[in-house]
Amino acid sequence: MRLVTYLYQQQERIGAVDGAGHIVDLHRAYGSYLRATEAHPAAEQLARITLGHDMIDFLKHGDKALEAARQALAHAGGNSHAGGDTILDLKQIRLMAPVPRPGALVSAGKNFSDHVAEMASKKGPGAPVAFLKLPGTVIGPEDDIPHPPEVKNLDYEVELAVIIGKPCVDVTEDEALDYVAGYAAFNDISARDVIRGENKTGVHLMGKSFPGFAPMGPYLVTADEIADPQNLKLKLSVNGEVRQDSNLSYMIFKIREMIAYWSQMGLNPGDVLTTGTPRGVAAGRKPDQPPWWLKPDDVLEAEVEKVGRLRNRIVAE
Amino acid sequence: MEIYLGLVEGALPDQTRIFGAVDGDLVDLTIACAACLTRAGDRFTAYEHAAFHFPETVGAFLARGEQSLQALDEVISFARTNGLRNLRGPAGEKVVYEPAEVRMLPPLRNPEKSFVIGFSDQARIEAMPKSEIPTAFYKLPQTFVTSGAPIVWPKFSEEIDADACLALVIGKAGKRIEPAQAWDHIAGVTLLIDVTARDINQREGLTTNNLLGKNFPSSTSLGPAVLIKPERKDLESLEVELGVDGNVKQQFTLRDCVFTLDQIVARWSILGIKPGDFLAIGASMALKGDRLQNPAPLKVGSTLCCSSPAIGELTHQVVAPGGLRR
Repeated sequence: MRLVTYLYQQQERIGAVDGAGHIVDLHRAYGSYLRATEAHPAAEQLARITLGHDMIDFLKHGDKALEAARQALAHAGGNSHAGGDTILDLKQIRLMAPVPRPGALVSAGKNFSDHVAEMASKKGPGAPVAFLKLPGTVIGPEDDIPHPPEVKNLDYEVELAVIIGKPCVDVTEDEALDYVAGYAAFNDISARDVIRGENKTGVHLMGKSFPGFAPMGPYLVTADEIADPQNLKLKLSVNGEVRQDSNLSYMIFKIREMIAYWSQMGLNPGDVLTTGTPRGVAAGRKPDQPPWWLKPDDVLEAEVEKVGRLRNRIVAE
Repeated sequence: MEIYLGLVEGALPDQTRIFGAVDGDLVDLTIACAACLTRAGDRFTAYEHAAFHFPETVGAFLARGEQSLQALDEVISFARTNGLRNLRGPAGEKVVYEPAEVRMLPPLRNPEKSFVIGFSDQARIEAMPKSEIPTAFYKLPQTFVTSGAPIVWPKFSEEIDADACLALVIGKAGKRIEPAQAWDHIAGVTLLIDVTARDINQREGLTTNNLLGKNFPSSTSLGPAVLIKPERKDLESLEVELGVDGNVKQQFTLRDCVFTLDQIVARWSILGIKPGDFLAIGASMALKGDRLQNPAPLKVGSTLCCSSPAIGELTHQVVAPGGLRR
């Protein structure tokens, strides 16, 4: 299933994408299902309780909510009488990130050997390396990315976002993928000059967390649809020109290892781990090459095979 | 005035209430406000107005701005004038609680910006307190606890320590705030203990990252109260102290910090700040003589207490690992 969070009539709602590419409102469709199958007198309220009120709440509700979403999707598909607000065209809505504000957003660094080399690091890390991006930096799959006036060296990093579905503490690598709700495409926008300044006396925080520095989406593709998350192509282009083109199979610490390692801090439903990025970022350009730093009006397309594509424009702030 | 966040007996987890401290008791500000409005003749909308001025989180309360701060003054003086012992809500509800009757919570629950200003271990070793940029790290809200909760030793570490901090609580939203305007955005202060798994933090610091070593369950203690709208000179001379097993390990005021409040707000408001966010400054960023103080090492069984006369104290015991749900 492809699950979405979207804005419709100024309201944040959760939905699923049907076979025709339409958005099915989960609360309305499940309410309609309950009315049709059980003639339930308070179907909408019950639908809200079963599904939760937003995506993180939905994930917390576990398998019951997932099952209800499947029933809702099947019901809406077979029911031409669904109300006008239940099945929506993409033009009627604005997609948000599937998890618009994760509890924790853990982004791996130095996790592809070709990227480690281009960033002139001596060697890959001995244990998984990651930093926290502020959850408030997450934006939708087609939202604009503001170019902060403080930043000279704005960069991109295509990654896979792994969305946790169950409370996950001290899990083993073998069981790690059982805790994944699904996947989304992710772009780890980075202000390299700000990061360099921070690294002199501290750790990097601001350089990774200006508003809008974390486009994610377009869907949460449920884990059952991705047979091997460790073997997916990643691609990023700027104004149509391909800059990054690689595969998650080149990760140093694999997804299972990342989940097991970071589960030591305790992960919760709706927390997001991102995989790190392969070579091809602007910071990896040699001094004699024309620079690739992002500027206003550049259009970024970040795509993960079988998961989806983000399309974000840089705008002057 | 200190305000607390807590749950009274029988309340559901999301039915948090804001309390004001009056003469050692806690006053449920929402119900006290309703009583005050009813007494003033508002028969129909007293509860709604009370819930508007004193919503369920401190962040939302601060976001209401000047009007709610005025309401706070009025409610407290109403409570004092009418006698705490006799004070009841419009329908006879309990309003005044002993501290032990309320389950206290970290006063700030889900801030977007929960930053602690800090140097990396490397920068501390190289003694670079003359830096121009106040760098910071982020503490995840899911790590927050408040006074009384155990600090659970993380299994993955051999070495943990504590740094006493004063957290400046933001009351007014802003972005790219000029240093001269910084003070207008501060609504109050609270205490914070930054617990660090030092061995992990040093390893992560080599890659200029900061995560597991600072963000495990119970690695951030916050509270017990937010001291609302202190005078600037009082805030800057507020003594903060950290004791471990009764011995004072750290002591500082904002005046000892290598950065001013204005510099810190100006720097971190670049990202935008909102009511309920905080920027915390630790003893390890404060000079004692000519050197920075060190965080205090902890052991299983240690009792630590971070205190400041005008805010209160955070008291914790360090317990062995294993308390976590699998």
